[in-house]
Amino acid sequence: MKSFTYNDMDFSVESANGRWDISCKKPDGKSAYVGAGLFEGVPESEIESRVRTLVKSIFPVGIKVVGPDVAHPNRIGDLKIVGPDVTHPNFIYWDKDSSSFPKQAG
Amino acid sequence: MEIKGSVAVITGGGNGIGEAVAKYFVRNGAKVAIVDMAQKNIDRVVKEIKDMGGEVVGVQANVTSEADTAKYYKAAIDAFGKINIVVSCAGIIRDGTMLSLDKETGKVTRKMGLDKWQPVIDTNLTGTFLTIRDGAEAMVNGGWQGLLVAISSVNKVGQVGQLNYSSAKVADALLPKIVVGEFLMRGIRNIRCIGIAPGYTATLMLTGMNQDALKAILADVHLGRLVDPDEIARLIGHAVENEAINATTLEITGGLCYPNGIAK
Repeated sequence: MKSFTYNDMDFSVESANGRWDISCKKPDGKSAYVGAGLFEGVPESEIESRVRTLVKSIFPVGIKVVGPDVAHPNRIGDLKIVGPDVTHPNFIYWDKDSSSFPKQAG
Repeated sequence: MEIKGSVAVITGGGNGIGEAVAKYFVRNGAKVAIVDMAQKNIDRVVKEIKDMGGEVVGVQANVTSEADTAKYYKAAIDAFGKINIVVSCAGIIRDGTMLSLDKETGKVTRKMGLDKWQPVIDTNLTGTFLTIRDGAEAMVNGGWQGLLVAISSVNKVGQVGQLNYSSAKVADALLPKIVVGEFLMRGIRNIRCIGIAPGYTATLMLTGMNQDALKAILADVHLGRLVDPDEIARLIGHAVENEAINATTLEITGGLCYPNGIAK
């Protein structure tokens, strides 16, 4: 079994019959499946990088799922104030410092 | 196109029709990506597919979000290297009439609010649009043969109490014709798009309802029972393998009729 920590989550990677199962423990302590029966035929030396790539796709660092209420009808006169487009693929919201990517001094 | 060796992405794959479709594909040799809002549903289905000996990845995502849509397609490609089948099963209901009247005065006492309208349109129409759009993008850019499946409903004909749901589902039923027309104009010949319009189906939404109300529903179904999710999965499986099925929405209702006997 291999394990690693990414984005404050602990991931476990287990081999079964030449295929790989991935699970994780989230910051709230709950366990979750990422996938099962994966990467058959992939050389073992490549497994860790394949797993890390997959995990980063499913749990992108720093993207907050719940953003501001962009539909809230804040108005100043005729001007409607709306928040940023939090659903835009390039929108990144740093909710908190991650232990994987700590804030750089200075 | 063969199911065996294909990669399928299924939104709403954590229960109901989506779960049945995912397991059907796995039984027939496909690899699947399960997309759902509820991690506990993903965990259950991933474990059951693992026990079946299948290959599966689970992604918690909201289909109304462009960022989440990009996320689950990237995850499927990272895990399996391609995408061939997309089934957009994620859907919700928020039933209610457009107006409610006071019995004595006949005046309007309540209107369907955006709290009931918008989530249904967002999930059932915008979510389907994003799933089909980005699935098509991945298939075109990857050069992969594919089938895109939008899940409509027999209530696309217009169901009182479901102005929101029926409006979204009639649009979902039309979507394959426009998408395939666009594919033809663009010279995209290896990707098909269809819709599936189920009737009353034995999902938790219906099997858990008041049994007297369920009996009343079944009185109008020629088959005399709810459609099984696996029957819908088998229809989609047939559509994968039968390449003449294209640019249309297929109904699978068990013979659902209006009370006067005319098929819905």
